[in-house]
Amino acid sequence: MISKKIGINKQEIIGIFNNTSDLIIYEFETESNIRMMVCYIEGFIDRNLLDRDILKPVILSLEMPKDIKKAIYVSSMEEVYLMEEVADKLTYGSVAIFINGINKSYIINLNKWEKRTIEEPQAEAVVRGPKEGFIEDISTNKVMLRRRIRNRDLVFEDYTIGKQTKTKISIAYIQGIVNEQILKEVKIRIRNIDIDAILESGYIEQLIEDNPYSLISTIGDTQKPDVVAGKLLEGRVAMFCDGTPHVLTMPKFFIEDIQASEDYYARTYYATFLRFLRVFSLLLSIVLPGLYVALQTFHQEMIPTVLLITMAGAREGVPFPAIIEAFLMTLMLELIKESGIRLPRAVGSAVSIVGALVLGQAAVEAGIVSAPMVIVVAATAIAEFAVPSLTEGIILYRLILILLGGFMGLYAMTCGLIIIIVQIISLNSFGIPYGFPLAPGNKQGLKDSIIRFPLWTLIFRPKILEKKNMIRQRNIRKK
Amino acid sequence: MIKKVLLLNIIIMVALVLIGCWNARELNALGIALIMGLDFENDKVLLTAEVIEPVPAREKSSMGKGTTVTYVQGIGDNLFDAFRDITLKFDRKLYIAHNKVIIFGEEFAKKSSINDIDLLVRDHEQRETAYLLIAKDSKAYEVMGIAAGLEEIPGNYVLELVENFKYNPKAINIKLAEYLKYFYDMGRQPVLGIIEKKEKKQINKIEKPSSNKEYQLSIVGAAAFNKEELVGYLNGVETKGFNFIMGRVKTGIVTFPTPNTSVDGSSTPTPSVESDISLKRPTKIHMSTMDIVKLKTKKDVEIIDNNIILKVKVKLRCSLEEVAGDIDISKEENIKEVEKACSEEIKRGVGNTLLKAQKEFKSDIFGFGSVFHRKYPKEWEKIKGNWNDIFAEADFQIEVKTDVIRTGLINTPISRVKGK
Repeated sequence: MISKKIGINKQEIIGIFNNTSDLIIYEFETESNIRMMVCYIEGFIDRNLLDRDILKPVILSLEMPKDIKKAIYVSSMEEVYLMEEVADKLTYGSVAIFINGINKSYIINLNKWEKRTIEEPQAEAVVRGPKEGFIEDISTNKVMLRRRIRNRDLVFEDYTIGKQTKTKISIAYIQGIVNEQILKEVKIRIRNIDIDAILESGYIEQLIEDNPYSLISTIGDTQKPDVVAGKLLEGRVAMFCDGTPHVLTMPKFFIEDIQASEDYYARTYYATFLRFLRVFSLLLSIVLPGLYVALQTFHQEMIPTVLLITMAGAREGVPFPAIIEAFLMTLMLELIKESGIRLPRAVGSAVSIVGALVLGQAAVEAGIVSAPMVIVVAATAIAEFAVPSLTEGIILYRLILILLGGFMGLYAMTCGLIIIIVQIISLNSFGIPYGFPLAPGNKQGLKDSIIRFPLWTLIFRPKILEKKNMIRQRNIRKK
Repeated sequence: MIKKVLLLNIIIMVALVLIGCWNARELNALGIALIMGLDFENDKVLLTAEVIEPVPAREKSSMGKGTTVTYVQGIGDNLFDAFRDITLKFDRKLYIAHNKVIIFGEEFAKKSSINDIDLLVRDHEQRETAYLLIAKDSKAYEVMGIAAGLEEIPGNYVLELVENFKYNPKAINIKLAEYLKYFYDMGRQPVLGIIEKKEKKQINKIEKPSSNKEYQLSIVGAAAFNKEELVGYLNGVETKGFNFIMGRVKTGIVTFPTPNTSVDGSSTPTPSVESDISLKRPTKIHMSTMDIVKLKTKKDVEIIDNNIILKVKVKLRCSLEEVAGDIDISKEENIKEVEKACSEEIKRGVGNTLLKAQKEFKSDIFGFGSVFHRKYPKEWEKIKGNWNDIFAEADFQIEVKTDVIRTGLINTPISRVKGK
């Protein structure tokens, strides 16, 4: 409870904040001798605004304590009676005003802090399409989405999760398009979270996922507002998390990994070609090293003679068996990738140059690895980046297939691939089959799968997500 | 539940391990054979194989040469024995999955080769698509190791030669599987391609005064069998006739005497051929050439008054490629003459081959027996035991129909002017 006496309030608030040094408490008296106190957290608010539009008019012209709303120039002010609530508001960048003799606190939101500017996300760069990406501030992100869907049916629902961090979470959906059941399920899962800290949306992702032990994620993740808008318009739910530019979208289909926002902006033939390319590179990056090892150790008769002669020449004098060679090179590739990201920019480029030179050239010349193996691993590395959102899964699948192919040949690779495919198809995302529209086949869904049909023929939203508001457009080219 | 899942996983794992691919071999433990030669030497089987010598790419460029090969030989009581004999002399195990050509020495072919190649079919490594060749008048190993073409590897040189069959029907390419098919066929005897070593005419002797002769290989001709017995060889022209009968000609040319017509169009008839098939070509200087575009052959057998008559119907579409002599081919009737002359030429060639097979080999290498079997199954049962003798005595009819579909860019032969 807030006391009428400023002194008591002061002691209490200092106590709540454990005497932290960045809590600023300023006591003063107005012209008309009213004793007042403002509290805020240093660096969290706009001090110019506080001084000019709040303190100055209050000091100069406030006559009666109850007339405070007449004196100051702000658009929103809350009245709070509980000290705990005051403390909460302070941590979101509000200013609390206490007036001697009044047992409540006036809360004015003046938050302002240093934010990163809006940039193009490096992981999702596009040639055509909007270049802006989300930033770490949730309210900016919400505005970015609202600017794309100027519709009163776009709804945000806020939650605060994390007993220590009190992180702001916001789920977004379009009323009338979203599947109510999925929405309900999302809300239930979020309310069930009981954790001390949420530092990134990855925390939430892992906590609310259907298949936490799967190698690939069943929740989408993007940094681009246009992508989120697209997903919401298909009937999905998005989740913003304060402090991260990564926004989650759910439920997710496997096919989403080979769809890119650019596909819808480009012409249909080119978009289809790109999708084929992504499917091909996905297969390539999973299968190629294993296939190469299997062919080389078990199925030499399947290699064309001239290629076999070349490969045999390259293998001559290489000390390791093919499987160890493949494993070594794949791990080295991951190492270069990992250290390239982690090291400071300046050193990072040096590492990749050294890695490329040492692995690509010197290792071959020294006869430690064979040149075709370097080519194979390099090809997989390039192919992998065509489907960036699946990278986590691809690497592990690839290592498994190298082991299978190297020890038991093509037969085991086939078995392994079957198991992988079965596992992927068996996944669910918020009760929706992950393999849609391929595994539970759907004619309408297939129009926007590996082949991207012309935009005007994509009349329906994904059938499995929503049944009542299905029609997206009228086919204007149909006579 | 968890126990069940665990059990299922274990079963799957074990199943994988138990029936996974076996026999892992690293590439650098293999001796990749590209061509094999089989011979009889003192009643033992002598196996000669050409093995690739893999050269690391980094050395290849610095040494300035490409792939090299080495030859390994093994001798044994049978083929497998000879194979394993190699392991005692050569550091790598022979790998014959990429072996594309198998050469039989003449002696090996004559001494019932089929008995000694069981391994090639029984073992999983050897492909049945490998070509079989007979080294005419020599040992198999004598024709190996010659690379007179641009291919660095002698084995590939031989392979390319055999595959050049499609440009010239004077040779024949028979694969292991085909050979076996004909061998088992009661109404057909096998034929195999041959390979010969020929001395090359030395070019530029002054600059290269070498005493050692240069050789090249030739695959012109074919070897005819009667069951496992090698009964004789067909020469190039006869092989062409054989290919015509079998309809195996992919592309190829027919060179024939130009029918004699004057340029103004009044045709004089070609010198008439006495019988239906004259085995002698009329003496003519000017020769023309047809390029075969499409060839269709039909073999037929007919019993007329208890006499068996073998019939061959050849239909071909071709384009006129080269004309010499007195003829204006812009005239319809002259084209008819050309077609007739071409047909006659083919008739002669086909007749020659048929006669040779009948009189000299006494072996039905064309498969008339199979045709007879299909048409007269009851009669076949009676005569199949001595079909080859019946074949040798049978009469034959040959019908050839030529269709010219293109005559090229000029009308008269290049030496003539129209209207003069």
